[in-house]
Amino acid sequence: MKSKNRNTMEKSMEKQYLLLVLPGLIIFTIGLIIPLLLAFRYSFTSWDGMTAEKPFVGLKNYIDLIKDSDFRAAWWFTIKFTIGNTIIQNVLALTFAVALDSGIKAQKIYRTAFFVPCLISALIVGFVWLKMFSNVLPALNDLLGTSFNFLLFGDGKTVLSGLLIANNWQWVGYWMLIYLAGLQSIPSELHEAAKVDGAGAWSRFINVTIPMLAPAITICVVGITTGSLKVYDLLVSSTKGGPGRASTSVIYQTYATAINGRQYGYGSAMSVSLVVVLLLVALIQVKGLKSKEVQQ
Amino acid sequence: MKKKWISMILSAAMVATVLVGCGGDGQPAAESPTQPAANQEAENAGEESAGSETANTDEKVTLTVLAGQSTTDAGIEDMIDEALAEQYPNITLEWECVDWGNDFQPKMQQYMQSGLPDIMIGKAQDVATYAPQGILGEIDSTYLDRGLDAAKTNVTIDGKTYGLVYNALYQGVYYNKAMFAENGWEVPKTQEELQAIIDDCNAKGITPFASHMVDTWSIGNVTMQFMMNDVFNNDAQWGDKFRAGEVSFSDDPMVQTAYQYNKLIFDNTYPETFSTEQTDCDAKMVMGEAAMKVSGSWSIQNFLDIDESFDFGIFPFPNQSGDSKLIFEPNITVMTSSASEHQDAINCVLDVLTGNKDLAVEIYDYTKTASMLKDVSPTFANPSQTDIDKYAADGMIVDVTLGNNQLVWGGFQEENAKDIVAWLQGDATFEDALAASDARVDASSAN
Repeated sequence: MKSKNRNTMEKSMEKQYLLLVLPGLIIFTIGLIIPLLLAFRYSFTSWDGMTAEKPFVGLKNYIDLIKDSDFRAAWWFTIKFTIGNTIIQNVLALTFAVALDSGIKAQKIYRTAFFVPCLISALIVGFVWLKMFSNVLPALNDLLGTSFNFLLFGDGKTVLSGLLIANNWQWVGYWMLIYLAGLQSIPSELHEAAKVDGAGAWSRFINVTIPMLAPAITICVVGITTGSLKVYDLLVSSTKGGPGRASTSVIYQTYATAINGRQYGYGSAMSVSLVVVLLLVALIQVKGLKSKEVQQ
Repeated sequence: MKKKWISMILSAAMVATVLVGCGGDGQPAAESPTQPAANQEAENAGEESAGSETANTDEKVTLTVLAGQSTTDAGIEDMIDEALAEQYPNITLEWECVDWGNDFQPKMQQYMQSGLPDIMIGKAQDVATYAPQGILGEIDSTYLDRGLDAAKTNVTIDGKTYGLVYNALYQGVYYNKAMFAENGWEVPKTQEELQAIIDDCNAKGITPFASHMVDTWSIGNVTMQFMMNDVFNNDAQWGDKFRAGEVSFSDDPMVQTAYQYNKLIFDNTYPETFSTEQTDCDAKMVMGEAAMKVSGSWSIQNFLDIDESFDFGIFPFPNQSGDSKLIFEPNITVMTSSASEHQDAINCVLDVLTGNKDLAVEIYDYTKTASMLKDVSPTFANPSQTDIDKYAADGMIVDVTLGNNQLVWGGFQEENAKDIVAWLQGDATFEDALAASDARVDASSAN
């Protein structure tokens, strides 16, 4: 009797959950799933985005993608940008979080100062750093009589460094807060116990802090990686994918091809390939990092 | 049970909100024309009459306008609004102003699926892209006749004119007249004469060319200038032959010469060109830090804003045969939707644009561009006008729409410019840049 009641209750709960999830699911389906399926469909056509006809070309777009050196270059830039961001942002964010968690003075001021840039639109950030590298810093050179090369956006060999500086300046504070929240949720008894056992500061950091921060690390690594793979708006206002194609990301190339180049079908194939890579990367990272997480 | 009902009501409310949001166009039906999709517009194209009657003045009409603007054009919408409010107070324009280079085509692509605005303002080359889709309305001869005959040439397809060309830009090499006089330099007609000036500049520590290669569009623009005089000047159908496989970038020495001029500029400009924006570049020119700038009329606004007494002239970039022509580009081009329900109101707007000479002069003076209307001349002091008049009198002016129609900007010229940058920066070879242009042949035409 008890079991029957529980089953009825569970079914009733499930229906309620379903009802609550439904609006979100509808919005998600209209805004994401349907466009995704449409993009998948268009990726098998040579549609130019304007005409009514959408000629079916089979796998031609995907075969062309493999041969497309511009698309490969865009992927190479995106991968370098992603790796650079993932390493630098995680290291800096964790370092700042540990520093702030150590009880230094004016902690709130530092926290606010680090966090504020992420409230600014990436478009504005790109423009700000374009002006910094082109006008402000060279003027400082003139003022101080130094000759540092600040024209990072003006050369294909240095543009990645410039973009990493701009992107990390914007986002380090955001990820720092996540690490800070993770650090503050680690029970102090664990550190005290490790101290009693004779563990030094470094040993406690490696053997206590890092394992306990694993959920935060998962969030930060996956967030930074997928965010970097999708970089677009920062480029629009700073380098416009240049000089030449030196900072053209996959999304930038997709937009230029599909919209400006009127190759909607081919551009759709590019976006489908990006979605597949994003899913794979996120899946591998989540699986790999979750296995290292410690339950509190 | 209570919770269940509350959750059901909340869910229903959210779904209803979503459906309402999807269904409405967000504009009052009386003021906004409902437009069918592109294919429907194509069907309707033949049914629309481009009558010249004025709108029913009792009825309030709001026309939607997509304006693809150059940097010089931003602000003319207020002038048009003001003039329209005086002549036709019941007609208002709902403007959507975007950057022509980056956003006009994406917006058009979007609107071709959801319904075009009543009026679109782009460039003359847009007519060749969109008219064959059957979405543009024919412009009434009443308004076309108020414009120069030259304005109709490249916006007329199969005898029907789909664009009203309002103003024009001139492109070539702007030069500092005082600096030229001071150094005894004559306007060069050949590459040898140009090289002599460059050599003299370098010997005297003057930067020969001001440039802002950070803007890839500027490289695409000057490359078409070079191609007009070294390629299309010799073979007016070069673009069509390119698509037919008869000529190619890799094999044609004329095209290679045109591409090589970019290197000439790059080698003779300041090292920070890839970090210099247009305003800074124009300032360098005005301040006498550079002798010449390959550019267009869009620079005049900056030149005169920085120093209204700056004395400059213009000459065509010399080609191999010494017969270069000054480049002429029809700029602001008004197009209309063939499916608009407000053709009369659109005609009123065309009437204001072409009939209100004060407005026209105000716009030309503001944009520092040339008039394409009969009997209307800008009143701003344009130091390069005497040069333009001389080339016009000698028949040494060529319309760049010829090249732009055959080798389109978006997806082709724009992309080629990126490869030229890669070559200039040493990230690709010259042959790579040429081969990349050849590989892009399918994207070279709008249709």
